[in-house]
Amino acid sequence: MISFLVLIGIVICFSAILALALNFQWGLGGMVNFGLTGFYALGAYAAALLMLKAGANTFVATVGAMAVVAAVCGLVAFVTLRVTEEDYFAIVTLGVGEMLRLVALNEDWLTKGALGLTGVPRPFGAVIAPEYYQYFLLALALVLLLATLWFLNRLARSPFGRLVRAVREDDVVAATLGKNVLWVRVRIFAIGGGIIGLAGSLHSFYYQYIDPTQFSNIVIAYAFMAVIAGGRGAHRGAILGAASVMLLLEGSRFLKDVIPALDSDQLAAIRIIIIGAGLIALLIYRPQGFFREYRLRVDFK
Amino acid sequence: MLQTTFNGIVTGVIMALPALAVTLLFGVLKFPNFAVGAMMTVAAYLAFALNAQLGWPLAAATVAAALAMGALCIGIDQVTFKPLRERGAITLMVASLGLGFILENVARFAYGNTARSFAIELARPFRVADVRMNYEQMITIAVSSAAMIAMYVLLTRLPMGRAMRAVADNPSLALVRGIESPKVIRWTWFIAGVLLALGGVLIGMDRALEPPMGSNYLISVFAAAILGGLGSPLGAFVGAIVIGVVSELSTLVIAPNYRIGVPLVAIAVILVFRPQGLFGQPYIRK
Amino acid sequence: MSDNILKVSGLHAGYGAGDILKGMDLELPHGKIMTIIGPNGSGKSTLAKTLAGLLPARAGTIELDGRSLNELGPPKRVLAGISYVPQEYNVFRNLTVLENLKIAREFMGANGKAARVVDERLEELFPELPKHYRIAAGNLSGGQRQMLAFACALTVRPKLLILDEPSAGLSPILTREVFERVARVNRTGVSILMIEQNAIEALRISQSCIVLSGGRVRACAPAREVLGMKDLNSFYLGNASNHV
Repeated sequence: MISFLVLIGIVICFSAILALALNFQWGLGGMVNFGLTGFYALGAYAAALLMLKAGANTFVATVGAMAVVAAVCGLVAFVTLRVTEEDYFAIVTLGVGEMLRLVALNEDWLTKGALGLTGVPRPFGAVIAPEYYQYFLLALALVLLLATLWFLNRLARSPFGRLVRAVREDDVVAATLGKNVLWVRVRIFAIGGGIIGLAGSLHSFYYQYIDPTQFSNIVIAYAFMAVIAGGRGAHRGAILGAASVMLLLEGSRFLKDVIPALDSDQLAAIRIIIIGAGLIALLIYRPQGFFREYRLRVDFK
Repeated sequence: MLQTTFNGIVTGVIMALPALAVTLLFGVLKFPNFAVGAMMTVAAYLAFALNAQLGWPLAAATVAAALAMGALCIGIDQVTFKPLRERGAITLMVASLGLGFILENVARFAYGNTARSFAIELARPFRVADVRMNYEQMITIAVSSAAMIAMYVLLTRLPMGRAMRAVADNPSLALVRGIESPKVIRWTWFIAGVLLALGGVLIGMDRALEPPMGSNYLISVFAAAILGGLGSPLGAFVGAIVIGVVSELSTLVIAPNYRIGVPLVAIAVILVFRPQGLFGQPYIRK
Repeated sequence: MSDNILKVSGLHAGYGAGDILKGMDLELPHGKIMTIIGPNGSGKSTLAKTLAGLLPARAGTIELDGRSLNELGPPKRVLAGISYVPQEYNVFRNLTVLENLKIAREFMGANGKAARVVDERLEELFPELPKHYRIAAGNLSGGQRQMLAFACALTVRPKLLILDEPSAGLSPILTREVFERVARVNRTGVSILMIEQNAIEALRISQSCIVLSGGRVRACAPAREVLGMKDLNSFYLGNASNHV
């Protein structure tokens, strides 16, 4: 039982990091990333490949993955945001995410396609005894989560953070004040991308085996739910949101034992239906989430 | 090359229907609806249930599925989008994403992941001047063209069609000219549902029925609608054909699995050079 | 059937926090033309939108011919007899001229289908329209669009016509043309509420005048009287303090 809780704890941590990234890009930057799953996969594969093919150690691989995702996000933002219509941006991110997933699936020479990559090393895997490793990983994940939180909070308080809020409030005004709105947005999206890369790396270390099926719609559905439940813009909220969503839904894995009539495909489908319905219900009935942002009150539109 | 072009035209013609649905929905409701792929899937499975399981001829099954989907879309709008009408495009997009997940997985729940096919006779291909075609493709072209013509008549000659264009053009002016927007919205969803159902069945005929069948086309359909100009029905048709043909032709130079890259690149290119697409109006931010 | 076609009492309306209209009253007798003037930001367009139903009245009442309109949405107000021409974006640019004219009537239920869309009266008033029937409204010139917007508002045979700056952006010749047509329409029995910056031209065809400032009515007088004032500006700004 403890083991199960520890493992769930780890998953919550990197899901929370992912939620923080979405929260940052969307809640603070006003840019919805519908391609989240694809970027997450990119981070995971980048980390895994750097270790497996380039022989990098886990630290370098993580940093590398973060850089790769940050760069791709920045590029996407740069190309798309020159036309600042949020509808189009959403469509493009959706498309890019889908494209990344297809690359993972089809580029056999690189990613082994549907077979996936196995034997992904873990940080300090050789050093720590297997019985204790999960505790270590949990601690590491927590540390990274807290570090991310700290980083984002520092960013929010910095001049850049003020700039981000100003741009989100009214980009026309910000532009007339001479701020390069496009560049701010690119940076926001890129920073968010880096955080996604971090989450993806942790995913790789945790599972040690990655294949395209791990990166399905569930990922983005969880993340959205976490961010909305937590109250968009509130970092703490995103984490609490991620924890709640994860616990609720991972806990539902036990349904399999309770309802033997349904096969695993069907159970997986039900879980996504529940998340989808939950997402819509949240938007309709509790769009401000459950954990309020108690800083300056800001109007979200 | 001619063969590839023909295949592209068939694909394009299939995509024209959902592209038109996307453009109508965007025009009237002012947001891109990401659930359209899954809506096609559900409608296709509805037709499958009637056709392969209850033994109806596919034509009848399609008509029934189309009407059912139209009604279902109205219901979905009432429950999902209507409460969110005032909240802005992003909220609606996220809701549509969630809706897409629900619909696709309802299909998955009911029919599992294995591919299915409609109960129709196997097609025997024939050749016309070096190009291999089959009977189903002819039907597809015919059905899609008929639907396009019907839509053209609806939008230009019938009052409801004019009202839809008016609401897309200027929602508040439409109100003060006596147009009741809830009624227009209901009709728009019904028509979109019918178009999506037709598209879903055509995809099911062309490929196979499986839960992601509709979502696989999502990006291409949006690319088609954007290329044609979001809000322009003629544009949706033209855009779909272009995207279809270019996507197919691209397989001559790049790996077939990356066909999806083409619409994505197309979207990027359009956004950079001509965001309003071929026939759309430049977006005026009021 | 009351004396006034339009009676507004204590009207409050606005867009966000705070009201733009802060309690205004207005009475327009049947068959008359009233011009509303006032500085920018005084709430003139807000008034028009609230009367048309695009903005909810936060307080106060609006009565058309004795019948309360408060609960009605814009389409039902059209049925009740109000027709509104916004200042800008007042035609459907992607629809042709003829489609623009048709669409106003098509949803009027029984009333709509009976008569021809563009009857002789309208053809007489707007003789230049028919040759443009097949042209998309967005391709017309500014002046032609204004005329089209005006014509569309009339196809529903309104009791009360609300015009928001009908002469905006028009040349002096066209401006005169517009006001002439407004006067002719009025002679057929349509009451008219007009918001105008072009005060003098508008007042020439009006019977009464209201000065709106800071969301309230600052002055109300017969048009002739206002025209006769030597210093229109002081009347305009005069008793009214311009604190918003």
